Amino acid sequence: MPPAAETKLGYTPPDGGWGWAVVLGAFISIGFSYAFPKSLTVYFKEIQAYFSVSYSEIAWVSSVMLATMYAAGPVSSILVNRYGSRPVVMVGGLMVSSGMVLASFGTSIIHLYLCVGVIGGLGLAFNLQPSLAIVGTYFHVKRPLANGLAMTGSPVVLFTLAPLNQFLFDCFGWRGSFLILGAIVLNCCVAGALMRPVKKSVKPQPKTETPPAASEEDGARSSDFQIEENQTESRCQGCAHRFIDFSLFKHRGFLIYLIGNVVMFFGLFAPVVFLAPYARHQGIDEYSSAFLLSIFALVDMFVRPLTGLLGNTKWIRPRIQYFFSFAVFFNGVCHLLCPLAQGYVGLVLYTVVFGMAFGMLCALLFEVLMDLIGAQHFSSAVGLVTIIECGPVLLGPPISGALVDAFGDYKYMFYACGVILSACGIFFFVMHFYNYKKLDEERKQSLAAERRTSEEAVKLKMSPDDKAAYEAEG
Amino acid sequence: MSASWGKLFFQLVLLLASCGHINTKTPSPTSPSLDPISPLPSDIRRVVLKGESHTEKVELLNPVDLALECIWSGNENKSPNITGYWRKDGEEMQSIRVTVQLENDKYTLRQVFKIVSKENLGSYSCSFGDEAKADFLLAGPQIGEVRDKPIVSYVGDSVVVKCKMDEKKPKPASWNWYKANGTDKEQIFYAAEPQKYEIKNHEWVTKLVVHKLTEGDSGFYYCEGVYAVSTTMGHVELKVITFLEPLKPFIAIIVEVIVLVAAILIYEKSQSKKNSAGGNETNADQTNTPTPGDNNGPEESSSTRQRKV
Repeated sequence: MPPAAETKLGYTPPDGGWGWAVVLGAFISIGFSYAFPKSLTVYFKEIQAYFSVSYSEIAWVSSVMLATMYAAGPVSSILVNRYGSRPVVMVGGLMVSSGMVLASFGTSIIHLYLCVGVIGGLGLAFNLQPSLAIVGTYFHVKRPLANGLAMTGSPVVLFTLAPLNQFLFDCFGWRGSFLILGAIVLNCCVAGALMRPVKKSVKPQPKTETPPAASEEDGARSSDFQIEENQTESRCQGCAHRFIDFSLFKHRGFLIYLIGNVVMFFGLFAPVVFLAPYARHQGIDEYSSAFLLSIFALVDMFVRPLTGLLGNTKWIRPRIQYFFSFAVFFNGVCHLLCPLAQGYVGLVLYTVVFGMAFGMLCALLFEVLMDLIGAQHFSSAVGLVTIIECGPVLLGPPISGALVDAFGDYKYMFYACGVILSACGIFFFVMHFYNYKKLDEERKQSLAAERRTSEEAVKLKMSPDDKAAYEAEG
Repeated sequence: MSASWGKLFFQLVLLLASCGHINTKTPSPTSPSLDPISPLPSDIRRVVLKGESHTEKVELLNPVDLALECIWSGNENKSPNITGYWRKDGEEMQSIRVTVQLENDKYTLRQVFKIVSKENLGSYSCSFGDEAKADFLLAGPQIGEVRDKPIVSYVGDSVVVKCKMDEKKPKPASWNWYKANGTDKEQIFYAAEPQKYEIKNHEWVTKLVVHKLTEGDSGFYYCEGVYAVSTTMGHVELKVITFLEPLKPFIAIIVEVIVLVAAILIYEKSQSKKNSAGGNETNADQTNTPTPGDNNGPEESSSTRQRKV
């Protein structure tokens, strides 16, 4: 159990109670954020025929939405730091809703790019960041479980939206469907309503009682970012995190996470995108290929909370970064072995294993960031991470597509993704091994330093009493 | 393309003639239409009857000399002779009734038909007495991709109805579109109403664009791909609805959202009232944030600032 984190928050998170309602809200918001852009592909064929455009032009709608969602991360972070999660999520829900309603009256493809892509994407960004942030404020002991449960929203909502979208399309065509989707997505406002700001009950803690002046000197010398942050917090909790905290770029853990993630995202989503086309390439019919994606989502759905539960155990929690490294490496190995899968049974097996690996990775994705940074800085951190990840997320699938086209075979793409992910897994493992060692050293140093300062404080307390006694005598 | 295709089949027929034995007990085939000197390509379709009857689909696009052959192994009493005859669309072709002899323990009936126009298509049946029968259904190719569920569009909007031919088969020479009018089909002429209809043909795909939709435009639309001897027909249903249709579920869901949000916030307010009534002083500042929206954020930060005093 990382001990310093609790003192950083300055209050004890409830770890339950209303927290579970918040997890439900986060579940809905995160679910819509990730699943909504993917589920719109059902409408593309008809919209493509309606506006007489090529498939790549219509696919841009999803890409613009995803790109805006990631790129608007910092904006979302600033707003969350300033106003808290609830208003941001509710405004986000209203934005996506109005974007979809406006799109249903669309007269050109540009209209769709703006309404669905930009406005919708912005609204989804306002849903994603705050949801992740607020889970961190409500949970500490059970945080991996809470994160795992919240992230399960993505496959569950995708699994629900895909057939729902098909049904809406059959009944109402694309315009009516967009209108109704605008209403459905308004449920993000319900999720926002659940995100009551956490009650920050003050509990006296011996460490923070040390006079700021004395501890500041040692704190400045200490290389531990977290301890230093504790001091700055005790001076000014509200205003330090009003805007984006760019000092995160000096944080060792954050840098490891960022570098690893940026490379990882190049190879993470491409296999999901190409799973069905690969199956069809192997000669499997369209429905069975689509069914593979359903299997994937189903496995993903169950693995995420399980991973959260596992991450919460006392054996894994202290070294959760290794668990994450393992998950990344597992993904890589899974893709490297994919070309060995023969026939439909082989592909189903691959899909199940991939679903497990992907679910593990996603459940831990933000938990490990919270573990490294702490909940206070999390909203800034996640904003910075998402805007930087925007590039690989968008470029990953087209580059993989180019690989497939260049070689005429899917296996090279799987090898490439496998190599990238395995390498990232090893990178994370090695870097976190080093990071944990450094953190342990710093913790020992700071403990020693605090012991010294508390001794000095006792001495300082003693001397005025002596003086008073002396004066009283004299 | 059809010339090389024809050559291939001609070679195939020669091969079959040389290796198998084609039982031509019949005198020179007297097919309905004369013309012994024909540059038409040839094709053969053979059916081996195993049970009582059998149906074989034959896809034809271009004029061809089609040889249809039926082989039957006979029944318990293998009579040396049996009457073999052909039927077209149920009517017997009297002129080609023959007596088939048992050879190598089976009966073979073969006939060459000249397929040059639409009338030559249909159902051809070969029969051995009254006992065994096989049907050959000569028709144009099946339409490739056409939407089986209705296309939904809105009054005042425009819609694109699409028919696609399988790319493995040759392109149709032209396309026609029909609108169902009761039990009839009325052809849509591009020139007649250019503001209303637009037909765009491109290789294997044909698109009918209907502008300024009205509810009367609902119904079945038929696309017909025209080949040299055959046509292929597909149909798509169009449904035109008003904007009120999706508006009903839209409003229902919005009402649900408003009710849930109000319920959650009212619950929160009542909870906080209970807490403050209970005299929980330290939480008093934070719990005075029952109203939605922007009040929460600044109050949060102000309360934390207060604590730091």
